[in-house]
Parts: sequence; structure tokens; C-alpha cells
Amino acid sequence: MSARVPPIRPDGDLKLRGAAVYGTDLDVPGMLWGALVPAPVAHGRIRSIDLTAARALPGVIAIGPDEVDGLLPAGSRDEERPLFARDLVVYRNQPVAAVAAPSFGLAARAAAAVRVTVDALPIVADLESVFPEWPGSEAGTSSHVAAHVRARHGDLETEFKKADRVVREVYRTASVHQVALEPHACVGEVRDGVWYVRTSTQTPFGVREDLASLLGVPESAIVVEGTWVGGGFGGKGAPLLEPYALLLARATGRPVRLALGYRDEFRLGRTTLPAVVRMETAVTDGRIRGRRVRLLLDVGTSLPGRDFATGYSIGFLLGPYSTPSFEVEGYAVRTNKPPFGPHRAPFAPQCAFVVESHLDHVAREVGEDPEVFRSRHLWKEGDTTPLGQKVGPFGLPKAFERAVETARRWRHAAPPGHGVGVAGGFWSTSTGAGGEVRLRLTPDAVVVEQAEREIGSGSVLVGLPAVAARSLGLPVDRIRVTSPDTAHAPFDSGVFGSRTVGALGQAIIEASGRLRGILGERLGSPGPASFEIAADRLVAVAGPRRATVPELWTPEEAAAGGLLVGGRHFGRGGTIDEGRVVDGTFYPYTDFTGAAHVAQVAVDRETGAVRVERYAAFHDVGTVIDLASARAQVEGGVAMGLGTALTEEAIWSDDGRLENAGLLDYRIPTLGEIPSIEVEFLEGFLGAGPFGAKGLGEPPMVPVPAAVAIAVREASGAHVTELPLSAERVARALKLL
Amino acid sequence: MTVEPLRLTVNGRPALVPDVPGNERLLDTLRWRLGMKGTKEGCRTGDCGACTVLVDGESTLSCLTLAREVEGSSVTTVEVGDEDEVVARVRAAFSAAGALQCGYCTPGFVMAVAGLLRERGTSARREEILEALGGNLCRCTGYVAIVRAVDALRAEPK
Repeated sequence: MSARVPPIRPDGDLKLRGAAVYGTDLDVPGMLWGALVPAPVAHGRIRSIDLTAARALPGVIAIGPDEVDGLLPAGSRDEERPLFARDLVVYRNQPVAAVAAPSFGLAARAAAAVRVTVDALPIVADLESVFPEWPGSEAGTSSHVAAHVRARHGDLETEFKKADRVVREVYRTASVHQVALEPHACVGEVRDGVWYVRTSTQTPFGVREDLASLLGVPESAIVVEGTWVGGGFGGKGAPLLEPYALLLARATGRPVRLALGYRDEFRLGRTTLPAVVRMETAVTDGRIRGRRVRLLLDVGTSLPGRDFATGYSIGFLLGPYSTPSFEVEGYAVRTNKPPFGPHRAPFAPQCAFVVESHLDHVAREVGEDPEVFRSRHLWKEGDTTPLGQKVGPFGLPKAFERAVETARRWRHAAPPGHGVGVAGGFWSTSTGAGGEVRLRLTPDAVVVEQAEREIGSGSVLVGLPAVAARSLGLPVDRIRVTSPDTAHAPFDSGVFGSRTVGALGQAIIEASGRLRGILGERLGSPGPASFEIAADRLVAVAGPRRATVPELWTPEEAAAGGLLVGGRHFGRGGTIDEGRVVDGTFYPYTDFTGAAHVAQVAVDRETGAVRVERYAAFHDVGTVIDLASARAQVEGGVAMGLGTALTEEAIWSDDGRLENAGLLDYRIPTLGEIPSIEVEFLEGFLGAGPFGAKGLGEPPMVPVPAAVAIAVREASGAHVTELPLSAERVARALKLL
Repeated sequence: MTVEPLRLTVNGRPALVPDVPGNERLLDTLRWRLGMKGTKEGCRTGDCGACTVLVDGESTLSCLTLAREVEGSSVTTVEVGDEDEVVARVRAAFSAAGALQCGYCTPGFVMAVAGLLRERGTSARREEILEALGGNLCRCTGYVAIVRAVDALRAEPK
């Protein structure tokens, strides 16, 4: 037997014994199996939806657009987002009807038996078919444009006119899918006027809010209970199946389970869609003097006015490099694909790929060392971003320096034909709409009651206890975390934007301070109490006095089983200079999180295949809260980034079909393809989270495609301006094809 | 027409499962007839490895295996207790290495590694083991900690 080593993760034993119940494992007595009926074309006018054959099957209930009004309260639904396409289909596989049946097999048969007749219309498959030339200013009002953003600063025209050199390039990036291994799954139930859904979600309260709008049911009548989440990566934020499970539950009077098969997970999931970026950079005397950045981002059928991606993403195309003048313009282009969805650090890895590859290219064009050129322009604390925000504590220059040192060492040792690339990137911890926690003081532990379920990163089950232990002065095994449903948990925005430990951690610190203050007061001390452990019980100590927890409870607290103290956190964003904004919405950052990576690659000179041999990641995290989890986030994020860099590409056909909807054809990295990954944390550049921590869920993705692309160029000379760097694209760049 | 109940040994205990049709996958029999949800459903097309179990000690994708095909066999799933010493060792190594995050691929990895250890012992070449695990996908860990767990298992005294 192996020696007993303490587990790194508190959920390890449960998961290693198959005892964690995920959304796909939900099995409620009396439940029916649901299935969605997909639209057969990507764009078209519905002539009829015939449910007769489906309804003839034993025990099958089938509902279409005509049934919705009878099942849901009238008048308060979001009419722009009908649950079923009624007249017009706008993307392939858009739900047009749904069925529930006593078995999985029967549900599938019933869904297939629904006859949908649609008159196909021409589709917009590709954003470049909408704007083959760069759009003019009139495009902002086009029905193909969901959002338009534009900002500028400085005398761009003069800088370009008098520049030593202007370098212009076009980049293209592919659609990528989150590929959480657990597909979407939930069980809905409507009981005594309560709309109750158990689901695998990153955002229980977000699902509740959105369900209220989709169903026209008040939030107070909706309860969302999270399950274990088999990976999120942004794909399990907004509700996907939940409204249909509830609608079917309402129609049948039974709990209804709805789960996606993995092919439909690809087809219906909300993903990052393709983009085209034009970059123009003016250089004078080795200095960037002007940048013109233009983005066409495919947002699928995202609704006009509800696109967040373009204004947020475009900021990542402007940094992290200084320029005295710039103009940036972005169009969210609507195509007949599902709506755009977030994917771990939404669009930032693609932006970093474009920015780093382009500035590497610019440096070569002006005869400079690319790493020296880029580091000369990196934002430093106290600088002003192009959008006019003051840069806070920022470890990127230091991380970049460490990466460059490492790259020099590796180059020295690398065999000929191998290349080493360095790339930087940045991110910011999101605040969301804030969050709250409750601390429950019990005789032997402090329970952190909060809304989120653990999605894998460790943020909920490792990060929050670590913060609570540190702020209460207790060993971590005296902290427990619970995740009640939305009827019982305090509000939180969700597990996204690398925010969980940042926002809920700050709320814990506030609650901890309050709790220690209350206990100090009850012990008759002017200062806060601290804790000791005696006879396996918590003892509060203040000044000369000490007491066990039950001795300090009021009778009400004793009856309720604990003293409850709340804490909340609403993050403060910085501000940008709105005078630089011409059109649309741009977003400031909460804090500035930097990362610089080094990749060493070998390129097959006959096939163009890229092999990553060695990798190092330097991360500005403010403060490390838990080293093992932090390292695990970087390792996993780098691996996911290598997928975006090398193989991952959702391919949409001219008729709006996802051509590689499956794990064999959409290739994520496998075990043998991941190199050794060295991880180093740079502490001290403090962020907005607890003890100055910065979010770490997303940053490890950001520099990866850029570092690989630059390494490929160094190894082979191939300057690839499209993601992913598939063997085919590299071979083309090497003129092998 | 009545069909004979399906006879299996699951985690050392005999099981008689009624009404199993010929086209039912072992994955579905385990999850929905025996209520053993520890074995995970990922792709159902044999591409992700999340549903890996051992059939007579051999690593098997339960989504591509018909339950009736393995009639009379001994099936081991992630729910097996620590009396299965190989699985217990794999669990201990994964726990110590932190070789899991969301945990969805974990049952498949545990069983795939256990199958390899049973088949080849710890003397198998590292490259062979890593190649054999190429059919198990993980999206969270980047495999780094999983490889650490495998290395730790190989380093254990036999």
C-alpha cells in the first residue's frame, strides 16, 4: 500500500469513488425523458410543425409554439427570445418543438417523428460574406450588425503620415467550443406553483433571472439547485435546456429530464465564433506612434443591443502596449449560427494571438529584436491605457522579463529547427453584479453558505475555505462550504470571469471581520475575538475572556443552530475616458492581471505539423491563495490554450451546419500532446481580490496561441495569421501546399 | 416474449438484470438499470473515455459495449470498494497528485489506469502507459497532474 498522503482536493475522494452527482446523473422518481426538435435548416420560414405522429407514440407529450401560451403566464415573456421558433428559423437546430416520453429511446423517436416543414431562405453563413470589403460607416445601421463600437485618441492621421514605417496585416481566428466533458443536463419540475430546476450550472442566480425573463414567471417562483458541474469554461452560464425542461414539466405534470448528446452539445452550445482582425501599426524611431485596429466578430444570432462581447473583447486588441494615438472599431456581425457564447477568457487568447504576432512581425519589419521591441511598449503601473484607464499594479513587465530570460536559455539549448516564442497577455478579474456570503458559526466549524457549486477549478471548495481560514485565523479543516439552492443561498453573480475567489473571498473577509467583532463584543472586549481549538471545539478568545460557541449564542441562535453573519462584495471597476469613445460601449478593468508564456516547438518541415516540446508560464496573481490549485489552473489553462492554438476549430458549412460536431473531428489535446509545463507565480502586484489576489481561472489561456505562433515562426519561418495553427495552415505558410 | 435476465458480476457482487434488450449499451445498464451513475456518460461514441470500466479486468468503453455481449462477465466500475487493491492504489495516487478537477473524466481515468496496471504492472514503459491513456480526454487538468499520479504509481515498490 502506498503511504497516506493528504489529498490536495476536498472533493477528491467523492469524485474518485464516482459518488458526485452531476447534471447528467440526475434521476428523479417519476421523471420523463425530454428531447428537443431541431430546425432542419439555418434560415427559413416555418410552414408547419406537425406533432401528430409524435403524439401517437405511447405516453408521449409533444409541444410546439402553439402550446406555449397555454403553459406560461401571459404577457411578461421576452418576446425577442421565444422558446420555440414560431415563424422564422434563424439557426440550424434551433428548437421548434419539444417532447417528453417515458424513456430515452421513445423521446428520441418522438422527436424524430415531429414533421417540420420549412421554406428555406438564403443564409448568412460567414461574416466575410456580409462585409467582403471593410464596412463603411453606414454599416452600423445594417440589420446584419448587432453592435458597433468605435473609439479613438490622438492625432492618428498625422502619426501615420509621418511614420518611418506602417505595417498592415489581416488575421483570422476560428470558432472554438468549450468542450466541458459533461454535456448540458437538467431536470425541471413544476410543483405547487414553484418552478424548480436542478441543473449543472456556473450561475444558479443567473439562470433564475434569465428563466424569469424567458418564461415570464417571477424570480420568486423559480428555484435553481446546482449539481456538481462537469466542467464549465463559460458554456454553462446562461440557461440552455432549463426553460424547455420546465415547459415540458408544466405540460406533463411530471419531472422532466433534458440532456444533450455530445453532438448536440457542439451544435447547440454557445461558443466563440470566427473573427477577422485588421491591424495597422505606425512606427517612428523604434516607437509605436499609432495603431488602427478593426474587428469583425461573428456573434451568430445574438440579439442587437445585447452584445457584450465586441466592446469587451476589443479592449484586448488595444493592449497591453502603449501608443500615443489609435483608432479602434468593431462590428458584431450577425450570421445564421447559434448566439455567441463565452469561452474561458472570451476572445482574449485570440486577441493576444493577433496583437503579439502582429507586433512581433512589426519589429521584424523595422529590424528590431521582437522581444525587446514589445517589452519597450508594455504597459506599466501608472501608465494610461489607450481607452484612458490608469493601469494599476501590473506584473506583466516582470513576467515578460522572466519569460524572455527563460527563452534565451532554452534557445541556447534547443536543437536546430526548433523555435522558442514568448508572448504576453492580460486579463481582468470580473466583478459581475456582486455577491454575498453567510458565515454560520457552529460549535466546531464555520460554515460558508454561498450560492455557487464547484465547477472544477477549486475556487469554491479550495479557494473560499482558504480565504475563510486565513481571515478567521482557523485551520482550513474547520471551514465547510455549502451551496444551497437559490431559495436559500445568498445572492451571487456566478462562477465566471475569474471572479469567484475575488468577489466571494472579499465577502468572506467582510463577514469574518463582522463575526469576530460580534464575538469580541459578547466577550466584553472592544476588539475582535480570535479563535482557538480546544477539545475539538471552537473557542472564541478576546482579552482575558474565552468561551465556546454555544456559550456565546443567543437563545434564537441556539434554536437556529448557529450564529449567522453576512458579508457582501460589489467590486469597483476603474474608469475609462469616455471622451475617447465615439460609439458603443467599452468597459474598464477591475484590475490588471498579466501573464507571459514561453513555448518551444518543433515544426515538421514536410507536413507542417507542430509539436510543443516545452512550456513555461509566468503569472502575475497578486497573492497566491492556494498553491496547488493555482498551479493546476495554469496547467489546465495552458493545455486548453494549446487546443485553441493548434487544433480546435468548429467548422461551419455554407448552409449553416456544424461539420465537425464530435470529439473525434473537433480535436482537443490528448494526454500525449501536452509538454512539461513550468509554472512561476509573481506575487506583490496586488489586485482587487482577498489579500490582493487576482483571478486565475482565465489568464492561463490568454498568451498560449500567441506564444506557439511566434515559436512556429522562429522554428520554421512560417508566419501564420490564422488560428488554429493546423498542420495545413503551417504547410501553406511554408509553401508546401 | 420474455428474455432471460442478464447475468453479471458487478464489483464482486452477482447481479441479475431483467428486461435488458439486445441493443442496450453496458453504460446504460449500469447507470439506468443498476442505478450506478459513477460511470460517466460523455460522448457515447467512444471518443472521450469517460465511461471506461473493466470487463474481466480489461479496460473497456462501456458506451460501445452491448450489455448482452458481456453476459456472465465480471464488471468493475469506479464505485468498487478499496478491497480492489489496484483501484485503491490508483485512487490514492490521484488524490495525492491532485489529478482531478471537475471530476467528470475521473472515473474513466481511474479505471483505465487500473486496467493498465492490472494488465502490464508497474514495469510497463512510461510511454506505453501514456499512449494507452490517449483515448481518455480531460479538459481541466491538462493531464499534467494525471501524469504525475501515473509516475507515482510506477515508482511504487511492486
